[in-house]
Amino acid sequence: MSFNYNGVEIEDTFAEGFSMWGSRIVITAANRKWANIGATTMTGFATSVIACDCEAGVEREVPPEKTPDGRPGAAVMVFGFSKGKLSGSMLSRIGQCVLTCPTTAIFNGLPKEEADEMLDVGKSLRFFGDGFQAKMRMNDGWGQRARFWRIPVMEGEFLTEEKYGAKKAVAGGNFLLMGRNEAATLEAAERAIEAIHSVPNIVTPFPGGLCRSGSKVGSKYAFLKASTNTPFCPTIKHAFKESKIQDGVNSVIEVVLNGLDEPSVKRAMGAGIKAATQVKGLRKVTAVNFGGKLGKFKMGLKDCLEVT
Amino acid sequence: MKELFLELKEKPTIPIEAENISTDIVAGKQMQEVRELPIYIGNTKKCLVDFFDLEGEVAAQTADQAIFVEGDLSKVKYIGAKMTAGKVVINGDVGMHLGSQMTGGEIQVNGSTADWAGVEMKGGLLRISGNAGNHLGSVYRGSAEGMTGGCIIVDGDAGQETGSFLRRGMIVVRGNAGPFAGVHMNGGEIFVFGRAAKRLGADAKGNGGFIVCLGEVEAMLPTYIYDSTYRPTFMRLYLRELNDKLGVKEAGRFIDAPFKRYHGDTAIGGNSEIFVAAA
Repeated sequence: MSFNYNGVEIEDTFAEGFSMWGSRIVITAANRKWANIGATTMTGFATSVIACDCEAGVEREVPPEKTPDGRPGAAVMVFGFSKGKLSGSMLSRIGQCVLTCPTTAIFNGLPKEEADEMLDVGKSLRFFGDGFQAKMRMNDGWGQRARFWRIPVMEGEFLTEEKYGAKKAVAGGNFLLMGRNEAATLEAAERAIEAIHSVPNIVTPFPGGLCRSGSKVGSKYAFLKASTNTPFCPTIKHAFKESKIQDGVNSVIEVVLNGLDEPSVKRAMGAGIKAATQVKGLRKVTAVNFGGKLGKFKMGLKDCLEVT
Repeated sequence: MKELFLELKEKPTIPIEAENISTDIVAGKQMQEVRELPIYIGNTKKCLVDFFDLEGEVAAQTADQAIFVEGDLSKVKYIGAKMTAGKVVINGDVGMHLGSQMTGGEIQVNGSTADWAGVEMKGGLLRISGNAGNHLGSVYRGSAEGMTGGCIIVDGDAGQETGSFLRRGMIVVRGNAGPFAGVHMNGGEIFVFGRAAKRLGADAKGNGGFIVCLGEVEAMLPTYIYDSTYRPTFMRLYLRELNDKLGVKEAGRFIDAPFKRYHGDTAIGGNSEIFVAAA
């Protein structure tokens, strides 16, 4: 079953998302360059929990007037399979990639009222100060109470908020763009990513937001837990019985996204598909699922287009 | 918000104790009950109406109550003491112990205050457009902790021992601060935009407490040790809050300023900090 949108065939299927814990951190620095370096370094090697400790990405750049310290900032989001794993990944990544990055400071990007839990990430990070860390309490008894830690470092001082909000979030939002050739497919995918990043609460952890390999669970090799998504590899379509590549399709790219809630993921998927279908040469859009057996969330492509 | 207006009939010759001029005491009462609230002059018990003309409305809840007090109140003590919510606006100078031990709400003084304003405050906002006397946001003799929360902003000068035994909360003096500001402090924040007199931070312990001097420092205690000059990121948060939310516009000039950091009071092994604007 499929339907047509902007002249492109959309398979009437769904992306199967699963539950993860997510958090948002705002990294600020003396200028835009170092804020972005801190954010990209912290979110490196965090594409998929298949082989990474967490999934993470840069959500957006935050202008100075919107950050707590009035400096340029970047919002990053991190996702882990449990609160403990998320907390551990945040601690090690902030410790290794942001605390070490010149001029940076970090702030909670998920306020208590929006979070399910508050993680003691800054409270743990403070021990790096080796006894010289200083606690900082703002607005006690009269405003929005806030707790920070100041950690002396060689370049000056690192500032971190004490607690970071975390909530049950959605990972595994996806759709596959199947195009006439590599150039058309890539252009459609780039447009999709641009549109997705206009939706708040979303990150796309893969390189540039795109996963060219795809993956499937398992392999013919017993030692491998995931392998290439054979049904969608055009170069082997006639060598593989269950190939899902139709005639005229020579390249497929998967767009993968995580979000803080299901409506945001659906809106982002819808926005991405709409933008991608503007590109001539895109033949079909479909999504990856496991028949609804693995994931908690079923995000139908039709629904996604309707809610956007 | 329901508004109750109190106008002092005549300035008393000796101090009167008016802790009943508080949103907590007034709210939920009938107007006649408010008129009959006890006020002590010396050891003589009198009624509120003996000293004040009253008009306006009484709210059912404390948070919905506003009290406006007019006149030369320099001999009227304890206004707003222990209040938890609502608002008190005082037009004129006011006597000792204003807002002492308050835990919430807001007191706005369009005038100056005598000694002990905001002493042992636990929460809320106290704004003084004129000068404050001695022991602002301080501690009663014998207590172990002074302010443990809340914010005090003085547009003018403050007397001696501002914020003594400060534990948590913030005191901002836009003018000059007298001797011994922050003496014995063990947490909390004091900002002085004018001249900070000598003995600043004497006997301060630490616990994240600091004093920020944005004007002249009369003399730094020799038991405070200079460490370095830098642009602390955390300072930007305070200065932005003062500038953007609390109307202390001169704070905006220092957001990018470097500060000299001193730590002490080493005489007692303390690890409190004094930051002095270096620009």
